[in-house]
Amino acid sequence: MTRIAIRRLVTLVPLVWLVVTVTFLVVQLAPGSYADTLDHPRLTPEARQNLRASYGLDRPLGEQYLRWLAAAATGDLGSSYLFKEPVAKVIGRALPPTLLLAGTALLLDLGLGVLLALAAARRPYGWVDRLTTVLGLGIYGLPSFWIAGLLILVFALGLGWLPASHMHSVGAGELSATGRLIDLLRHLLLPALSLGLVGAAATARLLRATLLEARASRFVLAATARGLSPRRILWVHSLRPALLPVITAFGLALPMVVSGSVVVESVFSWPGMGMALWRAAEARDIPLVMGLTLVGAAAVILGSLIADLLYAVADPRAREER
Amino acid sequence: MVIGGLGDVLSWNPYLAEDQTTVEILSLVYPSLAVEQVDYQDHPPSFAPSLATGWEPSADGLELTFFLDPRARWSDGVPVTAEDVAFTFRTQRDPDVAWLGSDAKDAILEVAVVDAHTVRFRFDRAYPYQLMDANEGPIIPAHAWGGIPYPQWRDVDWGERVVSAGPFRKASHRPQQELVLERNDGYWHQGRPYLDRVVWRPMPSRTPLLAQLLTGDIDLVNGLDPADIERVAGGPRLRLVSFPDRGYSQIRWNLRRPHFSDPRVRRALAMAIDRQAIIDVVYLGRARPSVGPVISTMWAFNRSLQAVAFDPAGARRLLAEAGWADSDGDGNLDRDGVELAFELLTNSENDLRQDICLLVEQNLAKVGIVARPRFVEWGTMLALETGGDFDAIVSGWIEPTLIDLGPLWHSSPPGEPTLNSVGYANPEVDRLLEAAAAVATFAEQKPLFDRIQALIVDDQPYTFLAETERLVGINARVRGAVINDASPYFNLDEWYVAREADVR
Repeated sequence: MTRIAIRRLVTLVPLVWLVVTVTFLVVQLAPGSYADTLDHPRLTPEARQNLRASYGLDRPLGEQYLRWLAAAATGDLGSSYLFKEPVAKVIGRALPPTLLLAGTALLLDLGLGVLLALAAARRPYGWVDRLTTVLGLGIYGLPSFWIAGLLILVFALGLGWLPASHMHSVGAGELSATGRLIDLLRHLLLPALSLGLVGAAATARLLRATLLEARASRFVLAATARGLSPRRILWVHSLRPALLPVITAFGLALPMVVSGSVVVESVFSWPGMGMALWRAAEARDIPLVMGLTLVGAAAVILGSLIADLLYAVADPRAREER
Repeated sequence: MVIGGLGDVLSWNPYLAEDQTTVEILSLVYPSLAVEQVDYQDHPPSFAPSLATGWEPSADGLELTFFLDPRARWSDGVPVTAEDVAFTFRTQRDPDVAWLGSDAKDAILEVAVVDAHTVRFRFDRAYPYQLMDANEGPIIPAHAWGGIPYPQWRDVDWGERVVSAGPFRKASHRPQQELVLERNDGYWHQGRPYLDRVVWRPMPSRTPLLAQLLTGDIDLVNGLDPADIERVAGGPRLRLVSFPDRGYSQIRWNLRRPHFSDPRVRRALAMAIDRQAIIDVVYLGRARPSVGPVISTMWAFNRSLQAVAFDPAGARRLLAEAGWADSDGDGNLDRDGVELAFELLTNSENDLRQDICLLVEQNLAKVGIVARPRFVEWGTMLALETGGDFDAIVSGWIEPTLIDLGPLWHSSPPGEPTLNSVGYANPEVDRLLEAAAAVATFAEQKPLFDRIQALIVDDQPYTFLAETERLVGINARVRGAVINDASPYFNLDEWYVAREADVR
């Protein structure tokens, strides 16, 4: 297991390098630069050109790339053009909201997904199963921004129960600690549902299938023969092997916890990594795009590593193989 | 009082700011010598005293002396003095600061401290916009910021160093989430501002803005779409404010393209486009026909000019005169085997402009011209435009109150940065522009401006479409607000919020 971890960590560096290099090229391919996107009322063409020079945007591509790479190698991600502060600081500010939102969404995803799958797998092709299948497929087919719009329409605009944007209410700073927590949870619910529901539907579909597969296996037959209760067979004997593909899917979803969801965060004005990436891409803020991609790429690779390790924990066979 | 908008304060140093929202909000925190008034209809804008209680030009017209209000204090108690004004000028001109508006100070040779509350600007020549140029940019605190060497300015966390002398001061700021300004108790204007706190909630898109205005979560949205009017006007607690905002939309024809180099073709294009339909359908009536390069509400507008009338039959005649005919019978005009077809570009973020493109496409199809709308993202469109890599663009300008037609219409030599993206070149216009820049008074400028406008309207390098209105939605509980195109926060220090019982 340690060897797997070490091997994967060694491949991390070239992979991240590859991703940021491709990102750099793609960002550069988009026409226009930061200096072109500004709307300052007194921006003359000369001033725009001076600005381009002051950010080094008039330098050859290769030079810009090498400069960025050399600085990044020493841990310096540069300064954001847009926010006028170090990229590391912008990321430091955006990471906690994203961890909170995507973490909550993942919990919803897993919790709801496992519960629905267990309910469905108890009686395959019964009415619970059919209902969750129809609902699950329906939700799985919807893009999360559409779900976000629907949730806002119903719960924020229609019923007025929950806020439609931002992380806090106006004046939340003056509330008590409990008040602030409740305020935060109220703001968290809709975006977390927008992200989590689709995942939960997918998890439920996947897990239901593997549960049914396990049900048909010989160890379940053996357990039944030994007279174990159906509940025990489902929860203990079938669930563990059935969870293996879910763990893989979970590992692939982990990067979202770090890089955030660009669309959902932007719809809800959630100040995380995804919204920062949106703003950065719009403004052609190259250092910020690069910094966010670097963190995102590292998260993808670490996520799949964690999934592999979890897999080894859940499946003894993966551990013993040499 | 909660204001919703698309932008946020991106730097607390006004001279490092690169966006409109930052400039507007910081004008509440840092003082100005004078305040430009919105009276440009019949004469150039006048100015009201602010930090300066008055000013006096010298007899030769080369100097302007300002007298500062001795009561003015920074929020840390230090008086605002002439030294602050001189420091501000040094900052504005410093190459390391590289302020985007520094060209406004090109004609100013020196800002001299006469005494603590008197400061003298010296100009290299007499010209009409001296006061406007001297006043451009807010005054910043020399005592707090003067010790930081300019080369280090871009690395400073200015949010930590805000010292205010405006009606408001910074209370808290969570970037992209919430900005709170609070009443500056030391503001020298007795009793002002009335509001204790003003909160800005930046939003990433327009949709939540309207939604939260309707739910009462935000009190003011500056810049609604015409399509939102009905919902805002229908809200019992909402008020709609609208005014001409110096904006005008147009189609910019790339004159380097052979199709558009013939002025007859450009006139025909203008005649084939139903401007009134655009105003009725796209702007829902909230616009007026645009005539030429100076908007019709501006003192400098040539009132003898008329918008090109909608006349498809006349357009067809003009096109035939220019050699365009449907020789292959496919319904589209051609000449020497080439169709009169082009790409009509606009930015995908702007629904109104996209609708205009579609209407224009229909209008032109009726006279046998093929316009192919193409929608690209804003940065891409600007890059294509500045590179000259386009046929035609639907876009818009905001006309500055400082009338300078040079950047848009002078034929600068190739390679030089210019806003004349269409490649317009008329030697007579060039000559008149240079003459207008050289005269000392507005009275001398006006006839030159009139002539320039007449020539440009004749040449039709743009099809001038519509002069737009700014639409502001505001909660009825907000009182005393004068909102105009100088600034959405023009008199924010006089706004107040009515008690619940009084809002009916």
